[in-house]
Amino acid sequence: MSFIRREWTSADADDWHKEDWLAIIFSTISYITLVIGTALSFLTITIGFVVLAIGIVSAGIMMWIIDPKLKKISNEYEKKQKDYLRQLEDIQRWEVEK
Amino acid sequence: MITFQFLDWLWIVLFVALMIFFGIYFYRMGKRSQSDFFLAGRGLPWWLPASSVYATHTATDTPIWVAGVVYKYGFAGLWYAFFSAWCAISAFVSTRIFRRSLAYSQAEWQSLRFGGLGAELLRGWLAGWQVFMNMFILGWVGIAMGKLCQMIFGWELWMGLFIFTTLGAIYVLSSGYWGVVMADFQQGVIALLIIVIVSIWGVVAAGGPDEIIAKLGSYNSSVEWEVPNEWKDQQAMIRVSDVETGKPIAINSESFAIASSISKDAQSKLESRATTLIKSKETHAGEILFPTNVNKLQAGEKYTIVWASDDSYNRVNIDASVDSGISWSRVASHHFNGQSWRLNFFSFTGMFEGQFPVAWFVTMMIIALIGGFGMGTSIDWYPEAQRIQSAKTVRDASYSIWAGSALVLIRNSIWAAAIIGFFVLYPGIAKSGEYEMAWYRIGFEFLPVGLVGFLFAGILAIHLSTVSTHLNLGALYATRDFYHHYVNPKASEAMLVKVGRIATFVLLLGSFVFGVIIGEEITAWLIFALWIMAAGVWLPNILQVIWWRFNSWGYLSAWIANLGLSWLIVWILPRFGVIPALPDYLQFWILIVLNAMIYLPVTFFSKPEDMDHLVAYYVMSRPIGFWGPVRKEAEKQGLIATT
Repeated sequence: MSFIRREWTSADADDWHKEDWLAIIFSTISYITLVIGTALSFLTITIGFVVLAIGIVSAGIMMWIIDPKLKKISNEYEKKQKDYLRQLEDIQRWEVEK
Repeated sequence: MITFQFLDWLWIVLFVALMIFFGIYFYRMGKRSQSDFFLAGRGLPWWLPASSVYATHTATDTPIWVAGVVYKYGFAGLWYAFFSAWCAISAFVSTRIFRRSLAYSQAEWQSLRFGGLGAELLRGWLAGWQVFMNMFILGWVGIAMGKLCQMIFGWELWMGLFIFTTLGAIYVLSSGYWGVVMADFQQGVIALLIIVIVSIWGVVAAGGPDEIIAKLGSYNSSVEWEVPNEWKDQQAMIRVSDVETGKPIAINSESFAIASSISKDAQSKLESRATTLIKSKETHAGEILFPTNVNKLQAGEKYTIVWASDDSYNRVNIDASVDSGISWSRVASHHFNGQSWRLNFFSFTGMFEGQFPVAWFVTMMIIALIGGFGMGTSIDWYPEAQRIQSAKTVRDASYSIWAGSALVLIRNSIWAAAIIGFFVLYPGIAKSGEYEMAWYRIGFEFLPVGLVGFLFAGILAIHLSTVSTHLNLGALYATRDFYHHYVNPKASEAMLVKVGRIATFVLLLGSFVFGVIIGEEITAWLIFALWIMAAGVWLPNILQVIWWRFNSWGYLSAWIANLGLSWLIVWILPRFGVIPALPDYLQFWILIVLNAMIYLPVTFFSKPEDMDHLVAYYVMSRPIGFWGPVRKEAEKQGLIATT
């Protein structure tokens, strides 16, 4: 099995795994480097373009890691959403005991 | 005042017509149901809520705030605006959990996460808080627009507030969230375009990128100084000394006078003098260039102290004396020599010392990033929560929050580059009220005819996107969490849309009242609302997501305690001399600890939430963190697969 998991079962996708943590780390790196890289690039400072590139690549890696898991979660959840929405409206209208 | 030409007016008229068109076009979709009026039917692809996140958080006061911190702290000032980075983690944690709950609002989520009387109290409290906050936000962004219109057209302050907030209300009243999100998309595009154009113009006006860097390297050193009020009618001196050795580097050879008042004309000449001397190359190391014995300053006013840059020193302390140098009071500590430090994102002045200490930076990083595990850790969470629920899937919700906030951060950086250019042009401004208008000044002073009108259309876009969001969001809490849940649970969809419209109108009226009350004091209110009022509940906002044992009574007590403690620590105790005025990062940690001493005992001395209620929430939302007993129960009941 590869270090980054690309295939998910619906039960597994609902839990929290290292892929979630890796996405968070790359997401954070991306935000910090986008802030620094954009400002320095706007003043055409060379290191700014390098940092900006790191920000864009980090965002790409983040998506590559998390997208299969998010797709699986979404697909499975959409199947149950109708029932959940009905429950939500029942609570809103005081028709069930919460 | 600025004079508009035909082309300028044409841009503005076209833009206003487009906004009214959105209101009419989406009227039918908005009136279909409560879900349409407040969440656009939960069917939006990620890029629409993303553009709405970006457009909403680009308000008329945002460039004022960013310009203020970047002019004062250089690029390091961008970390002040880094609080949006909570979305780096939230996009994949709290966004995912919240989207799965399907709650219309954060108040509604409280009644899914907690149960019983505590949950209902929390829902009512958060709903009331959010109606108030949205009215308050509308007031402050409205009055920021009023200030701009005063600068541009010479109008009375209330006119800009009244005219342009009402314009936003037209399409929100008509089409609800559909109008908001569709208008936000095109407003976001216009706003980004004009931000890039004005910022490029600013950089070019300052001589271009290379020239800006070269000038910062050659300029003399400077620091802001507010002359103490009690120093009027005295003679004063300035001393600059090396931090490492304590040895004086520069000192006034003769003292200068401080008067109780000087004319406006003399005041403006002093500012020009400081600007000229910062730029001057005809100086020698060891010289205080401003103020000197030929200058007379006014007590209680802000000035820029200027001294000749000297490469042999890195950081300096600046002191002032009114007793011929017998005793000195500190103006600034660990301040950087020269001006090149403004290009450094990590120009720390020490661990705890100076204007940019490591302790502040670490606090900001923790608040911004770790806050993403919670819900409501940032004031921006509440509009984001609405956008999360309007996305068509969990995946769309995650990407919309991530991309919208990435755009916000990128926008700040583009602004910052232009503000550095503005500093190179006008380095001697000491009054924050003046340099905070830097980005607007670049636009109105340097853009050619025709583009000035486009800039104003961009400002309108910035303003309307924020106003429309908060009108609709405040109405959501009033309708869904008050009227529907507590007043009329059996209300029809048509009735709920009607109540949504009435609530929007009431929010509009309330915002005028708040705008007039806030008046000119925007920044002080903003810092209090964004930073301190949220400090004590920052950790409880995370705990409610990640810890099963945290209950409604603990959370409710944290809110109540924070309201009292934040006023005490920030204003009341320092005012009466009980504690010294503390730096903001220290206030944050003190409030965290004091609040924990209240809500943790309350949590442990009250019962946990009902296990069946927690299991239902867990199965639906699958939260992260410490949920072991709840998970085990869910597995036992066969509701989720056993691990």
